[in-house]
Amino acid sequence: MRPSRQLFGPGADAYLRLALLCGAGGLLLLLVTIGAVSRSAWFYGVGVAPEQPVPFSHKHHAGELGIDCRYCHISVEHAASPGLPPTWTCMTCHSQIWTTAPMLAPVRDSLANDEPLRWKRVNRLPDYVYFNHGIHIAKGVGCSSCHGEVDRMQLTFRAKAFTMSFCITCHRAPERFVRPASEVFDMRWQPGVEQLKQGAALVRANHIRSAAELTDCSICHR
Amino acid sequence: MRPVPDDLSARLPPFLLDPREDYASVERRIARVAFDHPGWRGWWIAMTVAVGLLGVLAVSVGWLLIEGVGVWGNNIPVTWALDIVSYDWWIGIATGAFALSAASLLLGSAARSALSRIAETIAVMATVSAGIYPIIHLGRPWFFFWNLPYPNTLLLWPQFRSPLVWDAFDIVSFLGVAVSFWFVGMLPDLATLRDAAITRAREALRRAPAEARHEAPAQHGMAYVTAARLVRRAHLYGIAALGWRGSAAHWQRWAQCYRTVALFGLFTVVSLQTGAAVMYAGTVEPGWHDTMLPAEFVAGALLQGVAAVTAGAVVLRWCFGLDGLITPRHLSLLGGLMLALGLLDLYCHAASSFAVAIGTNSFEHQADARRLHGPHGWAFWGVLALAFAPVQLFWFRRCRIAPVMLLGVSLCVLAGCWCDHFVTIVDTLQHDFLPSSAQLYAIGIWGAATFLGSTGLVLSGLLLAVRYLPVLSILGTRYHLAPVGRRSNAPGPKEDGGDAPLWGVSAEFDQAGDAIAAATALRRQRLGRVDLYSPVPLSDAPDALALGSRPVWLIGIAAALLGGIGTFTMCAYATGIDYVFLIGGRPRFSWPSFVVPSLSFATVSGAVAMLLAMLVLNRLPRLNHPAFNIPGFEAATDDRFFVSVEADGDRFDPRAVEAALRMLAGRPISVARVPR
Repeated sequence: MRPSRQLFGPGADAYLRLALLCGAGGLLLLLVTIGAVSRSAWFYGVGVAPEQPVPFSHKHHAGELGIDCRYCHISVEHAASPGLPPTWTCMTCHSQIWTTAPMLAPVRDSLANDEPLRWKRVNRLPDYVYFNHGIHIAKGVGCSSCHGEVDRMQLTFRAKAFTMSFCITCHRAPERFVRPASEVFDMRWQPGVEQLKQGAALVRANHIRSAAELTDCSICHR
Repeated sequence: MRPVPDDLSARLPPFLLDPREDYASVERRIARVAFDHPGWRGWWIAMTVAVGLLGVLAVSVGWLLIEGVGVWGNNIPVTWALDIVSYDWWIGIATGAFALSAASLLLGSAARSALSRIAETIAVMATVSAGIYPIIHLGRPWFFFWNLPYPNTLLLWPQFRSPLVWDAFDIVSFLGVAVSFWFVGMLPDLATLRDAAITRAREALRRAPAEARHEAPAQHGMAYVTAARLVRRAHLYGIAALGWRGSAAHWQRWAQCYRTVALFGLFTVVSLQTGAAVMYAGTVEPGWHDTMLPAEFVAGALLQGVAAVTAGAVVLRWCFGLDGLITPRHLSLLGGLMLALGLLDLYCHAASSFAVAIGTNSFEHQADARRLHGPHGWAFWGVLALAFAPVQLFWFRRCRIAPVMLLGVSLCVLAGCWCDHFVTIVDTLQHDFLPSSAQLYAIGIWGAATFLGSTGLVLSGLLLAVRYLPVLSILGTRYHLAPVGRRSNAPGPKEDGGDAPLWGVSAEFDQAGDAIAAATALRRQRLGRVDLYSPVPLSDAPDALALGSRPVWLIGIAAALLGGIGTFTMCAYATGIDYVFLIGGRPRFSWPSFVVPSLSFATVSGAVAMLLAMLVLNRLPRLNHPAFNIPGFEAATDDRFFVSVEADGDRFDPRAVEAALRMLAGRPISVARVPR
């Protein structure tokens, strides 16, 4: 046998092809991973309840006791911000009931020291998005459309990822989502079979602007 | 008859290459630069400067990312200043240099030999440098990918009716085409360097005398280290060359690929430059709203490209003593081209100024007056003094062939063209229709630092390419030479391959004509599959081997059509159906604005498909192949021509092949039985 003249051994091509395949496959995998992660609930913190100073339960207060959303979030129908209740609101009841519950000590301290409770924010939009709760309620966008069934949340968590596509989907076709004024605070409301017809009527009745206007950049970004 | 000038030095030599050059000497001269690094001290000094400038770029961009585009001194209304001036300048150099190489290939110009590699390398490096500007001039550069159409959570598309998005398509496409063209052209040269490295490694070991192994082990050790280093280089070049072995079938597809990519690239150049020009001309800004602008941009780009190639050619010729390969004829041609393009560019400028002068638009008059004697008047006079005046020297042949003159003028032209882009952008933006939108702009230190830094990026890329890659096209230079290798009277190595199973029988020739005749004769005898390996594509080889025409370029055309129609459909779907948006009152289906990105993407689709088709159909990469077992096969990329008959079919008989080879008029230098 003569020594081989080949610069590369017989296995070199297999390694090169494997490397090329791994390179191409790795790139593809990387892109798919970035795409999947950037759409995942984990990335947007959906379903995660942050630890709060008091483990307030919407399930108990709004669901079981049936307190109206607006009892605490008083400006939700009229202002950009829905309003977060001051300690005084808690104390309407808790000065009468569960007055010694250890769980509520921070609430009582807050009142005594005249310092607000520092809740951790659950739902957040970027600063460059100008969102107004009042107009959405007035035109028939229900609480649960964006916040989920809050009255079933033992601890409050983010129900939806507020991506731009989430907003745009409704702004492009509001008739698919708007409900009658009476149903806005109904946590169980679901679009029915007649939704498109009913929604179109609501769009007309509430003077909701055209999709072209609603998707204008300056509607949300000013 | 013109009188013969008295001064003989002013006459052009009648040859394009030094007549003493041959296949092997061309390889030695060019490979020497990669292996022996003549002038390595100068290289290190230049590289230190280039890396220093690269550091300046890193610092400037870092500060920019922290602080924002305000650091450049850009303001309202001069929102584009040195960033876009530099972008236009770099991409002008890139497209012009590319166009020089691609057009000379398609036109069959003999002079491209020494210039193509320089032009293509400059094109690639300048595109990279140009490409960073549109990214870093964004408010939030880390979101640059928002310019590209990809499925996103914003439910947004790029706005295809805006010319700004053309840049994203054009740069990506041009980079793809330029890199493909560069790589395809370099593939055979990389194989040549691979084989040169093997040969040099063998020589290094042979030079170490046998007795030195005992008497001077250190010396022998050095030879061994040198050889090992060369073998490592051979491996790297070998992987980059993807196992290229210069088979006739390879060459046939390669030639089609190279020309098709060149053709696509010329379309990209026109699409990119006119697209960039329409980005300005499509506005109503005074000084921009001009139908002449696209022609001006193309002419300016070509002028810049030729100037950059000239500067590169003169510097390389001087540094590495390549006078025999880059001859006065090349220099004269470059000088003549600079003159012609300078006049063309001057004509475009004069025509648009003339149109403004005889017009009645007072805003345009003001814009032109501002160019002449506004705060940035120096830029306008810089264009005249640096770009258009010096090229007039090239009316004289004596100037055209003087390297110093060429270098000086080409650097002036590059500076003048930079001023030209400055005039176009800053003088117009500085003052448009409203009194309130007039604001003086001054070049900021960070803007200048960023530009200086980007020259470092290009220079360091070019220096690396000079150091490790074939500095001129070995293949292109060999085109001018008769396909004849060094005469060899000594019988070559004769091997019978022992008892190993045979792959085939090979014959080595020193003349292409003999190899073609042998291949034709052997094919007619139907003894097995005949192939021909040569350092250059031989026009007779496909006929000799009855390969047929095999139009691979159809794949490129099909891919280009698919890419173009696909992009057009995407633009139409996005703006017409999925992303309805009122923008400047433009119609939903405003097809003219879809043409530029569609054309650009068509060309890159075609170019990349062509490159892949060439490789896949040639069964490359194939690093290990029985053909490499042919004794002395390294010379197949140097100055030898091999014909092989592979053991394929019942009629194969090594003795019959050897007998047939003995019957030939042009006898092979050596014949060998090649093991599998």
